Amino acid sequence: MGTATLEAPAVDAAVARRRRRKYGGIHAWLFALPALAVYLIFLVYPALSSLWFSFTDWDGLSPTYNVVGLENYINMPKDPVVIQALINNIIWTVITIVFPVVIGLALAILLNGKVRGKPVLRLIFYTPAVLPLVAIASIWGWLYNPDYGAINSFLRLIGLGSLAQPWLGQDSTALAAVMVPAIWLRVGFPMLLYLAALQGISQDMYEAATVDGATKSQQFWHITMPSLRPAHYIVLALSLIDSFKVFDLIYAMTYGGPGTATQVMGTWMYFNVFQYYQAGYGTAIAVVITIIAIAVSIPYVRSQTKEHAV
Amino acid sequence: MTGTYTRRGFIGLSAAAVAAGLAACTGGGTAPAPAGQGGTSAPASNNLRVFTYEDTTTIDLFKEQIAKFDAQAGTTTTVDNLPGSGAAVYPDKLRTELLGGRGPDVWRIWGGQIGAPFVTAKQALDLTPYYQKFGWDSKINTDAIGGMTFEGVKAGVPFIARGIGAWYNQALFEKAGISGEPASYAELEEANEKLLAAGTTPLATGGKYGWHIMRLYEYLLETSAGPELHDKLLKGEESWDRPEVVTAFTNFKKWQDKKWIPEGALGLDPSDIEPEYVQGKTAYTITGQWTEVQAIQAAKKDSADFGVFQLPTDHTPLRYSGFVEGYMINARSGNPDKSAELIDFIVQPDTQKALKVTSSTVAGAEPDPKELPLSYEWSQGPAKQPFYTIQDQAFPKKVADQYFSIQSDLLQGKITPEEAAKQMQDAVSAWAKG
Repeated sequence: MGTATLEAPAVDAAVARRRRRKYGGIHAWLFALPALAVYLIFLVYPALSSLWFSFTDWDGLSPTYNVVGLENYINMPKDPVVIQALINNIIWTVITIVFPVVIGLALAILLNGKVRGKPVLRLIFYTPAVLPLVAIASIWGWLYNPDYGAINSFLRLIGLGSLAQPWLGQDSTALAAVMVPAIWLRVGFPMLLYLAALQGISQDMYEAATVDGATKSQQFWHITMPSLRPAHYIVLALSLIDSFKVFDLIYAMTYGGPGTATQVMGTWMYFNVFQYYQAGYGTAIAVVITIIAIAVSIPYVRSQTKEHAV
Repeated sequence: MTGTYTRRGFIGLSAAAVAAGLAACTGGGTAPAPAGQGGTSAPASNNLRVFTYEDTTTIDLFKEQIAKFDAQAGTTTTVDNLPGSGAAVYPDKLRTELLGGRGPDVWRIWGGQIGAPFVTAKQALDLTPYYQKFGWDSKINTDAIGGMTFEGVKAGVPFIARGIGAWYNQALFEKAGISGEPASYAELEEANEKLLAAGTTPLATGGKYGWHIMRLYEYLLETSAGPELHDKLLKGEESWDRPEVVTAFTNFKKWQDKKWIPEGALGLDPSDIEPEYVQGKTAYTITGQWTEVQAIQAAKKDSADFGVFQLPTDHTPLRYSGFVEGYMINARSGNPDKSAELIDFIVQPDTQKALKVTSSTVAGAEPDPKELPLSYEWSQGPAKQPFYTIQDQAFPKKVADQYFSIQSDLLQGKITPEEAAKQMQDAVSAWAKG
């Protein structure tokens, strides 16, 4: 017993040292405090605030509201626009990830090779990504004008006038028509990331593979693609989150229409909160969007955690 | 966000609410609003802020008048402007300002269901004492005041009573061989055929946002249903599932199928399409007097080359679609007295004239016949007729959007006129039941 009492402080000190080493001690928290405060005030607090309002019938303006429990969430599946918006979100997410990623990768490989005017081409391909979305929406809105827009005019010019459509004015084409500028502006981001990753792949591997008789295709699938794995994770995770919370292009180009044909969860949330004075219901939609975005990000976070653990 | 809660208290409340909600899936009682509410007891400030949506052609005139007011009232007034946003966007911005901070002292807003939520939420001040103080009841058109009275509360001061009519390009009408303005619905259809034959799309209208193409449908409904039934339909007092409504939807589809409206009209932005009658690309549009300043004169065109007529409904009284716009005072304004003084200044006939208000509610502020001949013509003719409430002010936004969605489905051939009438009845009755 006597030994134990003498050894206990030494054991406690060792545990404390280990903890400090692991968690950084008080100093680390002090350094993190400003960022943590900003995070809590501008992210955690509004998020909790939204969560709270999603359990109320607040109209977004009045001084009072009632707590309605899960009513807003229960009503959501009964709302046909929510179902339509969710389907549109899924379509949007798949299309605006697959096309920009594939095209971005292709352009990155092209620009990583021996091509003339590489800096200019990089600039051209990346420029749409830095343009204001409202400007892009206006430009494409004019291009799609059924009467004097460039797209229909071109189709008529080459004798394909029968293909001219009121692109944004009918349910059958409106969503696809908005996805085209989305793809156009989003190609630059994966292109840049892939280009950076490609430049990090050692040329020795390609030379060795060539010596071993590997074809270009084999080199691509067995050297390039595996080496790009970290870049794939980043591109896919960020694109996924970005795609799911789409709002601005749809709002500016179609306003969710015709009718509700191009409504997505983000715009429908906005309509409910800001236009229909149903802030409780709208924030419930926002909470669902957040949960889905978190859920789809889990594989990325887990993969990153595993890599860091190794 | 909070005025009365601390963050910790709020988070605690949130956790409790989540727990209670999850446990019971129901609730009750009330809680204080998240935005800072209630009047402030701070000393009156002479710094005022006005939020408005003047067009780029009139904002300078407005600022000039505000400067004049400041000089005489000893105030410093800031003007925030959101031009061209329309009723689909502007109220959102206003609401965000009110929730995000104190908001403007005075704001411009439409009447009817667009202005109503600000009064219901007690964001707008009851102006009854100021009506008495400044004698607005005797200076301003009584019907217009009614448009900004919400469940008995005079919460707005209307300065504009707009009327919607057909504004047309005379050269295109002449080219099509149309000798006079259509005096009946049949004559209007005939004029459309002539214009089309002459290679001109008759009506410039755009369906993005819904409210612009709605102007055509509401006219067709007034024509098929007549004034009394139309009013009852707007209030949900009569069923929409009836032949008159079906006729209006049938005609609406006809206007598209006959190509009397632009191809793909549903996707067109009103701000792009409406001025096309001035540019000579389409023959006419359905709009109000503001178009004389904002479209005709802004394009450096002569008003004499254009005309305006009231859309013929074949009914007596011959009514047109109309709405009011006015000013409200923030219930949390730092100086409601000066704010009311500012509004009183704006509704003076001289100020209204200086602002080139083409459809003032104030007696003695009619548009100048030399400067604005077409607006003057409207003010002396159709403006003296009764009007029906424009439909996007007659319905709350959610119902209006359902209505626009039905119109959209109809024009795309997804539903029949009969189905459209039934769907309208479902939407309106759900709202009318509360």
